[in-house]
Amino acid sequence: MTLTFARRGALVLALALLAPASLAGQTQTGTIRGRITDPAAAGRGLPDVQVLVTDTRIGTVTDANGNYSLSGVPIGTRVLSVRRIGYQPTTQRVTVVAGEATTADVALNVSAVNLSEVVVTGTGTATEKRKVGTSIATVDSALISRAQALTVDQAMQGKIPGAQITQNSGGPGGGGISVRLRGTNSFISGSDPLYIVDGVIVDNGSAQLADLGTRSNPQNRLADINPSDIERIEIIRGAAAAALYGSRANNGVVQIFTKRGSIGKPRFTLNTRYSTSELREQQPFNFYPFDAAGLPIARFNYQNDIFDRANGIEQNLTVEGGSDQTRYFISGNFSNEDGILATTSSRRTGARANIQQRLSSRLVANITSNYITTNNQLQAFGEQNDYGIMGSLFFAPTSVNFAPVNGVYPLPPALGTNPLLAIARIRNPQTIDRFIGSAKLTWTPLSRLLVDYMIGIDNASFEQRQFIPRSAVLGTAPLATGRSQSVFQGTRVVNQDGVTSYEWAPMGSIEMRTTAGFNHTAQRVRLTQASANGLAPVGQLVSAGSVFSAAQTDIELRTLGFYGQQEVAWNDRLFLSGAVRYDASSTFAPSERWQAFPKLSASFVAIADRPGMLNSLRLRSALGWAGSQPGLLNAYSQYISYVQVPFAGRPGFVNATDFGNPDLRNERAREWEIGADMGFLGGRVATEATYYDRIVSDLLFFRPLPTSTGFSRQFAPIGTMTNKGLELLVQTRNVDAPRFSWSSTITYAHNKNLVDSLAIQDFQSAGGYPNRIRAGEPVGVFYGSYAARNCATGALLVDSLGRYRRSNQAADMGTAAQRVAISGGTCNDSLNAVIGDPNPKWTGALLNEFTIAKKVRLRALLDGVFGNKIMNLSTRAQNAGIASNSKEYERELLPYGDPRKLPPTFNSRTQGIFEYWIEDGTFVKLRELSASYTLDAPGLRRYFREGVDLTLSGRNLYVWTDYSGYDPEINLFGTNAGGLQSVQTTAADRGFDFGGYPIPRVWSLSARFTF
Amino acid sequence: MRMMRRFAAALAALSAGACNLDLQNPNQPTEGQVTTSVAGVIALATGLQARFAESYGNFGYMAGLVNDEFASTSAALISISDAEQGSVAPGTAIADNVFNSIYRTVRTANDLLAGSVALQGELDAGTRSGLRALAFALKAEALGEALQSYQQLPINTIVTAPSYVPRAEALPYVRALLDSAAAEIAATAPSAFFNSTILTPGVSLPNVIHLLRARYARIAGDNATALSASNLVARTGTAALSALTYPAPAVNFYANVTGGTNGIAVRRQWRLSMAAGDQRFNYFVIPSTTLTGRVAALLDPWNRYANPQSPLPVYFPDEALLIKSEALANLGDLPQSQAVLDSVRTDCTGGRGLDDPKACLPPIAGALTLPEMIAEIYSQRRYELLGTGLRWEDSRRRNLIRGPVATPGVPADGQRCWLPYAVGDRNANPNVPPNPTEPATFPSGCTY
Repeated sequence: MTLTFARRGALVLALALLAPASLAGQTQTGTIRGRITDPAAAGRGLPDVQVLVTDTRIGTVTDANGNYSLSGVPIGTRVLSVRRIGYQPTTQRVTVVAGEATTADVALNVSAVNLSEVVVTGTGTATEKRKVGTSIATVDSALISRAQALTVDQAMQGKIPGAQITQNSGGPGGGGISVRLRGTNSFISGSDPLYIVDGVIVDNGSAQLADLGTRSNPQNRLADINPSDIERIEIIRGAAAAALYGSRANNGVVQIFTKRGSIGKPRFTLNTRYSTSELREQQPFNFYPFDAAGLPIARFNYQNDIFDRANGIEQNLTVEGGSDQTRYFISGNFSNEDGILATTSSRRTGARANIQQRLSSRLVANITSNYITTNNQLQAFGEQNDYGIMGSLFFAPTSVNFAPVNGVYPLPPALGTNPLLAIARIRNPQTIDRFIGSAKLTWTPLSRLLVDYMIGIDNASFEQRQFIPRSAVLGTAPLATGRSQSVFQGTRVVNQDGVTSYEWAPMGSIEMRTTAGFNHTAQRVRLTQASANGLAPVGQLVSAGSVFSAAQTDIELRTLGFYGQQEVAWNDRLFLSGAVRYDASSTFAPSERWQAFPKLSASFVAIADRPGMLNSLRLRSALGWAGSQPGLLNAYSQYISYVQVPFAGRPGFVNATDFGNPDLRNERAREWEIGADMGFLGGRVATEATYYDRIVSDLLFFRPLPTSTGFSRQFAPIGTMTNKGLELLVQTRNVDAPRFSWSSTITYAHNKNLVDSLAIQDFQSAGGYPNRIRAGEPVGVFYGSYAARNCATGALLVDSLGRYRRSNQAADMGTAAQRVAISGGTCNDSLNAVIGDPNPKWTGALLNEFTIAKKVRLRALLDGVFGNKIMNLSTRAQNAGIASNSKEYERELLPYGDPRKLPPTFNSRTQGIFEYWIEDGTFVKLRELSASYTLDAPGLRRYFREGVDLTLSGRNLYVWTDYSGYDPEINLFGTNAGGLQSVQTTAADRGFDFGGYPIPRVWSLSARFTF
Repeated sequence: MRMMRRFAAALAALSAGACNLDLQNPNQPTEGQVTTSVAGVIALATGLQARFAESYGNFGYMAGLVNDEFASTSAALISISDAEQGSVAPGTAIADNVFNSIYRTVRTANDLLAGSVALQGELDAGTRSGLRALAFALKAEALGEALQSYQQLPINTIVTAPSYVPRAEALPYVRALLDSAAAEIAATAPSAFFNSTILTPGVSLPNVIHLLRARYARIAGDNATALSASNLVARTGTAALSALTYPAPAVNFYANVTGGTNGIAVRRQWRLSMAAGDQRFNYFVIPSTTLTGRVAALLDPWNRYANPQSPLPVYFPDEALLIKSEALANLGDLPQSQAVLDSVRTDCTGGRGLDDPKACLPPIAGALTLPEMIAEIYSQRRYELLGTGLRWEDSRRRNLIRGPVATPGVPADGQRCWLPYAVGDRNANPNVPPNPTEPATFPSGCTY
């Protein structure tokens, strides 16, 4: 604890030292004044227009007649940025002279669509949105800060059409979140897009280095990034837009840009937040006071012990400022959040310094550096039936008294551990120390020529420990003698990017830009594991053990790419571009290594800045190719290898049962998209609509080999898959009165996924689980046994005891002839069938924001997923005979004559009917609800120039759903393709509830001070 | 400027190294690294023994379930409680693990044989003969377990789609492999280097080979060879007990499948059906009156394999005597057969000085007829050879496949003839035959 305070103290000190007083002595200043008008309304002055001097914090709002005045503007050529909701933002250059007032009048055109927004896209060079033929979603810092989220991906939830952002688990520190852009595009490479922070490719692994539940995902490493450092996020959804990222872009790209600092005196901002989380609602359990023999029995509700109200705090201190020569943004962050599952918590401490320095008139350097240390205390959940808390809760009969007797915790009868013991004694701490930094040089030898070079590094050291004391699990296996583990993983991603672009105008109204660049990425992951069994009664470290084992893994992946792009603009209306990336990865066989990924795009601005009904119209289309690479687990799949199998204390080798593929090549996606951006009704409504059609071929998975050869499978291309869909974004300004405004944002996305062809038999995407990959069906459909039905009436067939008949059991259905006779037809002929689709039909969100008297801001975000199915194996576990703790099992215990009585062994029969556990996963969540108030009493203004913002907000406050489990959003299967030490998961595995960590309801109160 | 140039040169050199995309896998050796070096081939021999231990365990575990030896503990998977009631669905681990692990053992044996040929010049003759005999013997036993589990089986697997042959073809092949093993060590005795550093400590290769020759001669009905081979198996001394050892953190196969979702234990009926005074249960189990399984089978917990580091016998020494007794009976020498059988019955503490099951029963009173003798031999085999999987073939030989027995029924003898073929092979190999049909009436024999 002292260490923590020392670290925080050092942080504050560093901030104080770095806030450079030397920069305070600003030079001479002048004044800019003028009037902002609406030419469509006969030059009427526009009130409430924001006028800012870019790169500084100098800004104001126009008065009722559209007049403004800015004083204290540093002299020289400055750029005014003028923006108002419903109008096309614009900029204007102004030369400020010392001690004088310069006039700058600006006319604003009606438009709800901002085509001038600058996006970075794939080339590393900035461009206006209007020039880009693909749809690029952006989320800015205002939207992020209002979300009051602990992690970046949480903050993006519900804001991007076409992005299904799922919180798979409700752990502290953000939980495990997966982002899926435009459906599932790979079987094995995970669903996650490529994340790039300030040009640095960052690791978003969700690996748990010790078994915290097979495939469970308490946290993904994007959680290390502090959302309040972020200026803007760009989401590049499709292959067409992402082609310039080559062989890694199949799942799209998320680019995150952190704050740069602005010119002026140092400005401090302190944001402090307090939060409290709770389990939204308990699950019903079997609390029937009689046992199967009708005898009285005591029952216990262990949810009361397992779940707690949990508190959290977050502190953010930033300072920014600078001059024309130097700009800086420095921040320190501390957060500590407890999880609702007892003893779990996540603590993050981080600091960032971003510095921009002009080295000469034509050379600018940008340095970003971010250090984070994250400490988590976790408990196993999900598929962990030895010591996982959720599994133990679901598998233990409610009649077991888990209270310790003479200090000894009794163990459950069949599966799992005593959850009270796990809470009291099992420990799984994690420590992540991470540095993300970049250095970038921008050289403009000519005004039309730009040369950029950057190098970025993401270096993380991740330690996972696990301590399971003696006699904490059932059985005599080594685990019962206790286990202590320490697993260290060092991850380093280094990327280098060089880009040069030249702008030229060969004739008349045609402008060109030619770009060329390279990218090199090297990722290295090193892992060492030490573990011990046979623990001493005292001591939690590996050294407390008596039987030891160790392991080591070292993996490196390198990608090298070159690209060129040609853009042509005509009359600032028609924009065409063509590009190609030539890419190679160490993962692939040398013969298949170099791949070309071309792209073409067109954008046509048909109507711009026109008053009236239709204010603007832009049409765009793009076609592009992208690829994806296998993850770390399959990094060396091109080699035929042997594995070490020691025996009797001696080293041995045997052939790896995964046969190498010396012709391994990458997955290849082709995507075509077409869309339109429109503004209507005098700037009140803006829409963006996009249709896309993507086909991914050469999908990699394991092709089975005859096991009689001693091999089992080979990593190889096995099929093709398509995703087709529609994305819609509607932004409306419903009321825009001086004292009240109301705006709405609606997102809608529909995606249809289909596995078109498979070169192998259909298969379970995760061995032993019902998600299946089957040609002609959406990816990951549930496939398994069903309850047989009468073919004529569709009524469920029951046997003489009133139990359902299992489709795949001869005991229930008899011979083939009997099967037809019982069913009255052939409808039950197949033993198994497709019994549900976990992919949503559509997703959508509705955000409403209200501003009252400019001081009170209310917002509500509803976020929904529709038409997906969930397999509820949590309740199936509860219904199993060894658990018998569900509400449904209770009905078996009722006395005969009770109308709710279920026949004996009814529930043991439904264990074998997987269809029985399929539920509708449709939900709408009140994702965010917040109220902000700006305290700006003059007395307060004296200390805090911009007043004090108070915000009360809630996350995941309410869920409308028919789903019976804790939460329809949780999913056993991970965020990402498995990391090292993980069981292989695939992007197809979803909709699977098995002992997940429930997602809490969070209330928080925050205050923001600026001085 | 010179600094800049130097810096640029250093950067270029660094980038050139970093741009190399031909990265080797530091975690696992390649085929070439293993199969072309003496050290690699010797490591293959250890790997072969590891794989053999796995396939041998899988066979005994599965056979015990579908016969009358084992049943699932309460936490076990449904497929295990199904198997104990005679039902094995294609694609379950029970059906596939036996097959897959057997053919991995075969694969490594083939790798080792290929290595012993390729590196002929670099291996001394005694080490080479030891390696080859080990490969022949363990490949033979692996395939022998396959022919006791599957109606048809591949024997030539060094092709992309192995074809299946009936027992009539597979059994002579297995016996020929064992004869090759015996011929190797007869021609050149394994070197001391082989025996002390390659062969698992506690295993006597000549005894294993002769026991296996006797075992498969008996299955083939070749009484003369069964008799001669069983006579070559040592009866006393340390070489008479060959056991695989499991120094921590390695875990004995049966200890590994005792807990958790694989959990099995010994059916209580195995102990209760013993003749009064038979002490062999003490070797294997701890008598229980309370342990019940997933589907209410009555169980006794393991004694022998409760400790994860317990050695696992490759065969029980008295198997040789029981084979000998049976061969003698079939050859018409009933008195001698009975004497050999009595030596098994009367084996008691002290006895032959081996850590093996000890019946401590009195000798048989009076002379038995041939059918009585055979029945007594099979009864002794039941209690002497628990967990070896041999009981399944004993049920087949005596036409005592009795069909699935649902709880609360307690099975006696085998419940089914064959396992369904492995789905892992079926999915990729067009030569896998349809799954065999189980008999319709019981008790029954099996079609080979």
